[in-house]
Amino acid sequence: MRYGPSVLMRGVVGLATASFLLAQANAATLLREATIGEPPPLDVMLTTADVASVIGRHIFETLYALDSTYTPRPLLAESDRTEDGGRTIVIKLREGVLFHNGKEMTAKDVAASMTRWGSFGARGKLLMAAATSVEATGQYEVTLKLSAPNGAWKALIADVNGGLAIYPEDIAAKAGNRPIEQKDYIGTGPYKFVEWRPNRYVEVERFDGYKPVKEKGDGFAGARVASFDKIRFIPVPDVGTRVSGVQAGDYDYAEMISGDLYESLSKDPSVQVQRTNAPIFGLFFMNSKQGILKDNYKLRRAIQTALDKSQALRVAFGPKDLWTAEGSIFPNGTPWYSSEGVSNYSAHDPKKAKELAKEADYTGTPIRLLVSTNYQAHYDEASVFTRQLADAGINVQMMVVDWATLLKMRGQPEQWDIFVTHHSFAPDPLLLTFLNASYPGWWDSPEIGSLRAELINTTDPAARKSTWGKIQSLIYEQVPVMKVGDAYTYDIASPKLKGLNPNGPVFWNVSTK
Amino acid sequence: MWSYAFKRAATTAVTLLAASIIIFAFIHIVPGDPIYVLLGDTATPDQIDALRHQLGLDQPIILQYLTWAGHVLEGDLGRSIFFQAPVLSVIADGAETSTLLATMTMIWVAVIGVPIGMIAAVRHGTWLDQGLSGGAMLMASIPTFWVGLYLILIFAAWLGWFPSSGYPSIFEGGVLNLRYLVLPSLALAAPNAALILRLTRASMLDVSREDYVRTARAKGIRPWQVVRRHIWRNALLAVVSAFGFTFAALLSEAVVTETVFALPGIGRLVVQSILRRDYPVIQGVILVIVVVYLLINLIVDLSYRLLDPRVELQ
Repeated sequence: MRYGPSVLMRGVVGLATASFLLAQANAATLLREATIGEPPPLDVMLTTADVASVIGRHIFETLYALDSTYTPRPLLAESDRTEDGGRTIVIKLREGVLFHNGKEMTAKDVAASMTRWGSFGARGKLLMAAATSVEATGQYEVTLKLSAPNGAWKALIADVNGGLAIYPEDIAAKAGNRPIEQKDYIGTGPYKFVEWRPNRYVEVERFDGYKPVKEKGDGFAGARVASFDKIRFIPVPDVGTRVSGVQAGDYDYAEMISGDLYESLSKDPSVQVQRTNAPIFGLFFMNSKQGILKDNYKLRRAIQTALDKSQALRVAFGPKDLWTAEGSIFPNGTPWYSSEGVSNYSAHDPKKAKELAKEADYTGTPIRLLVSTNYQAHYDEASVFTRQLADAGINVQMMVVDWATLLKMRGQPEQWDIFVTHHSFAPDPLLLTFLNASYPGWWDSPEIGSLRAELINTTDPAARKSTWGKIQSLIYEQVPVMKVGDAYTYDIASPKLKGLNPNGPVFWNVSTK
Repeated sequence: MWSYAFKRAATTAVTLLAASIIIFAFIHIVPGDPIYVLLGDTATPDQIDALRHQLGLDQPIILQYLTWAGHVLEGDLGRSIFFQAPVLSVIADGAETSTLLATMTMIWVAVIGVPIGMIAAVRHGTWLDQGLSGGAMLMASIPTFWVGLYLILIFAAWLGWFPSSGYPSIFEGGVLNLRYLVLPSLALAAPNAALILRLTRASMLDVSREDYVRTARAKGIRPWQVVRRHIWRNALLAVVSAFGFTFAALLSEAVVTETVFALPGIGRLVVQSILRRDYPVIQGVILVIVVVYLLINLIVDLSYRLLDPRVELQ
């Protein structure tokens, strides 16, 4: 049989038409999100990376979830009670919740997940260091016993970032301290893991066995209804491409758009702008273990006194809508907001800074500031501050590295004096990294030691808030970190999407208009 | 010819060995650690040590190299630390995009660069030549990412003729998926077409000053026949050589284009792998690029002989 050019051409056209129709058929129920990059493993119990959290929360769930006011509400839990002055926590689980492998979630799965989280989880030790036992005390009941009460237990296990994700018992036990393997990405969420194509996408699909809670969706809490058959999280590192992709209709949602595009995109009818209501804040960590700043609080205050935070925020984030020069660690309008001690937040007084530095016996020794270029805002903030500090006679030498190098170097106290990072919004002060004495920076003065214990072991909300006020004052006195200010990131989405969540990219309860 | 090919293959093997040692050493000298990237902010020293041991990163560097090289000889490039997948499959997935992108780019380069270069040479000294040469200079000077962003803006965001970014495999979506590569290949082709244009023009002008061309013209052969039979064929050697190197270089040059167009190619893969210190992927990709480069170099050298029997291969 002979095949002429016309037959070949018909074949090509036929193939092209079929692929076009297939693409159109798939597009109807596929949500495409442009992420800033690829996640580390989706073991959301171990990692606090935002990219992993965003994808992972569609697959894995926690016992409690934070609502729009950042209050924990039951999700996989049904109810709870505390006994023995808060030392015993009994959590009753919802019945009939299925894992993606079809098995029902029981107390054994929760106990195994909680044990792993306590040993290796990003946030687990904050609660579980004081645990004396975790037991399944019934098919749907877990009992956690603590050596001392913990006022933040519910917020700690509800946090979407490094919180207590519930895995099947065998998977949690098998993984131990290693990241969970892709074949074991089994959770209880409204979407289940399908595949991770390196460099291309992570795909999840609707879990038909999902059983939502009865309450209406609110923040991350409440009912979760999956409208899309599939979601693809596609790494698109270039911000211009993410923007054009949504404008052209190739993506339905794009994360982390740069500040300089905010005003034009706000007026663009081809996209809808989604500004987050939970700010991130830049942090300059001081080395409390070694070096020139180790316990020289006066020199740290001199550094803080020299700075104009607004200038750095303007350079790093652009329009005023996207940042607030706020000294309170928690933003205004949230339950933990406090004005204690913030008077020296952004003094911008080089003369006074010089005097303080002189009193601190500072003679111009170079102060090594470790910063990466992977986060443009970090670099911008560091550049502005370095110049402002030079005006006050404080000699800062920037050590510019990539993020992977910074992650390693910041664990070596002899390598740096200040390092730059940022912190996402935390629902409880105990989740702030700088309150963790083993986190690089290693702030562990006697004063913070006793205040931290008070914050952990107090269960009364008003008393805890009062303690937090004292801690914030101490932060401005001992300056273990300097807060730059609150920055509101924003995402963009197709105008066709409705139900978007200002707490962060979440695609349950989202549908097309 | 065959002894030349054998010698070149042996040289290629030695070069590859040297390259593999250099790649391995450089990657491991650079500070940074995949363990921190994998485990994140709050990993404990015990956790870090355990994972490092599991991945064999606590072994002496020479032992790590020998283990890796031994596996490579068996055709196993190892497993990606980050993706938890065989490096070969990760590279193969990216290679489809990069190879098709490079091929489509070379088609643009050939279609745009060579004929316009010929026209400029034939119309040497005229306003047309000056205009085309000036245009080529401009195209060679504009950064690829800039061309790429404007192509996206005009042809994807405004006109909607082509997708803005991404690339689903043709094995999954059919040949129509090649439309995803039109804009990136054009962006990548722009500076390379300009260079080929200038090279074609210069090469043809050089040949057109040869005595045998003057003789052919004196014999009254029609101008187009002179170009086709005498100038073009002899000018082709330099152009073919440039094509070979351009194709090989595109695999690494495409990094920016693959980033701007969010293409899952090996250029972007290697950059992202460097950022997260995914050693097996970095080593694997660079090794593959070196092999491709050396092979293309070999093919180009051998093709000289085929194009011009007077060329001696030694």
